[in-house]
This record gives sequence, structure tokens and C-alpha cells, in this order.
Amino acid sequence: MRGFFSKLQHSVFGTEQTSKDDAKQRLKVLLIHDQVALTPAQLDAMKIEIMEVIGKYVEFEADGVEFKLSREDGSISLVSNVPVRRVTARA
Amino acid sequence: MAECIVVTSGKGGVGKTTTSANLGVGLALAGNKVAVVDADIGLRNLDVILGLENRIVYDLVQVVEGECRLKQALIRDKRVEGLFLLPAAQTRDKNAVSPDDMRRLVAELKESFDYVLIDCPAGIEQGFKNSIAGADRALIVTTPEVSAIRDADRIIGMVEAHDLPEPELIINRYRAGMVERGDMMNKEDILEILAIPLIGLVPDHEDVIISANRGTPAVFDETSVVGQAYRRITDRVMGHEVAFPDFTQKNGVWATMKRWMGLAQMREVV
Repeated sequence: MRGFFSKLQHSVFGTEQTSKDDAKQRLKVLLIHDQVALTPAQLDAMKIEIMEVIGKYVEFEADGVEFKLSREDGSISLVSNVPVRRVTARA
Repeated sequence: MAECIVVTSGKGGVGKTTTSANLGVGLALAGNKVAVVDADIGLRNLDVILGLENRIVYDLVQVVEGECRLKQALIRDKRVEGLFLLPAAQTRDKNAVSPDDMRRLVAELKESFDYVLIDCPAGIEQGFKNSIAGADRALIVTTPEVSAIRDADRIIGMVEAHDLPEPELIINRYRAGMVERGDMMNKEDILEILAIPLIGLVPDHEDVIISANRGTPAVFDETSVVGQAYRRITDRVMGHEVAFPDFTQKNGVWATMKRWMGLAQMREVV
């Protein structure tokens, strides 16, 4: 628990990140990269290919696509959020 | 049944040897027969932390190479019944011993002891592989810092790949004041990242240095906060459930003043 005084400081004078928040955020990214042996370029290539496949079946907003690696309970997952405009029944 | 526990961390300087010494003494104080093994060949230190450096005759490498019998190399700690140290060699390197040698050694120790503790060297090379070879259980020591936690994560992966059960975590050098200010990750933050069960939380305290100066692990001192933390770890290792105190100083003068100032400030704001 953070002290009352500093908690108040944080709620009244904006939400400045504490150094432990920085540490935690840096660690999360670091551990993903330690575990996943993909370069940023390979990740981008994978994203493009996956988007191509999704595009065959649904129409989506390309600008709103989220694509990231995240780590929960020590295991890594690929999390993607694709805003769908409408499903194009092309079959 | 005897159990072999390896104390490891990846990163150096986080408190593996201090943990091994205190846990060894703690387990012996609780009535167990304990062998603590210094697996840091070439850079031995467990003897110094235990205050047994002047009594070394033979070492682990000499046992492995058959120069002496295991019983001759074990140093009995006269302060507590049942505690023995198997020192590392100081003049050899880690390649003098193989994982098979360690497995054989641990098996022999388990015949006459309740607990065999292995103090693992830093790193992920030969010394680490030797240390986990004969182990049934692993304790991972870390500090609340990015670098130590990163290395702990790496080691956890390697321990799990080695067919050992899920390792347990000891967070060392915990500073409640910094945690309260938001300048140190708290135990929940660390557990969220490393995702293994917590078995110890040790406050950062000068007792650790004082007890290292004297060669008398803090766990001997029932009044030391560090000693108490290691007694709780000892109990948990033996399978007892013990609560984790958070080490916040709610009744100190400064804490009271801060609370008061906080209240005053809130009145102004509201």
C-alpha cells in the first residue's frame, strides 16, 4: 500500500508514474523479448500476413488494428484486436 | 524422506549464500539433520558466511575425485546440533565436477541427512547445471530490481525445463518504505511477473552485514527482523503455513507525521 500522503499527491496533482511503475513496465516488455526470439521486422511481417487472411473473410478497419505480445502468469500470448466493419460473405 | 533443495538466482549478489546459510541453520535449529553444500567451486563463500572458514580440511572436489571420504570433508557446526558444511574447492574451477558427480554426491548425503541444501553459483553455466542436477526442489532468490527479476525469470524457465517441481520465490532486500513511496516493486508486482509461489520475504537490514562480519547467520538471533524472516522461511520449507508480514512501520514518528500531514492537506483540498 502506498502511503496516504503520496496517494493523495498522486490523485490531486495528476497521475505521474512512480519509478516502480516504470520498473514493472520495462520488465514486462523485457521478459517478452527474452522469451520470444522474433525480431520487430518478423513481427510486422506476421501481422501483415495475418491481416491478409482476416481480410479474406471480413471487412475491418485497418487503422484500429491492435497486435501485441503480452505476458500473463509467465506465459506469452499474442493479443490482437481487429475492429470488424462487416462480415463479407464471399463463399 | 530426505529432500535436496537448491538455492539459485541467476544474478549474482542477490543473497543466495546468505539464504543458504540462514536456511541451513534454521532447519538445524528446528531439529533436522542438514548438510549445506557450497557448489560455487573456485569462489567459495558459504564457509565464511557460516563462520567455518578456519576448519576446512577437504572440499567437494576432493570428495568427488576420491581423495577423501565424504564424512571427512563434512564440517560439523558446533553451535547447532545437526548442521554440516561441505565446502567448495577454492583452487579449482566449475568443470572439475559434473552433473553426474553431483547426483551421486547428493544421493549419498541424502542417506544420512534430512535436508541437503545446495548453494548454487551465479550464472547459467556448468555450476548451475551441477547444482540443480541432484535437487528435488528449487528456491529462487531475487531482489525487487529489474535486472534480478529478469534473471530470476530466466532461471525459473531453466528449472522447469529440468523436470523439477515449480520453484518457490524468496524476495530479498525488501524495503517497505520505498514500496510505500512507489519506488520499489511490492511483492504482488513481483509475483504477478514471475508467477511462482512466494516462500520468503526478507527485509533489507543491516543485520545481514553484521552477521556476515561475525560469521553468525542472523537466524541465530531471535530478536533480529532478518532472523525472524529466515525462521518463517524455514517453517514454510518444512511445510507449515506462515503469514507474510509487510514490514510497514505504521507506528513510527515519521509515519504518524505523514498521516497527519496527509489529513491536513486533504482538508485544504476539500
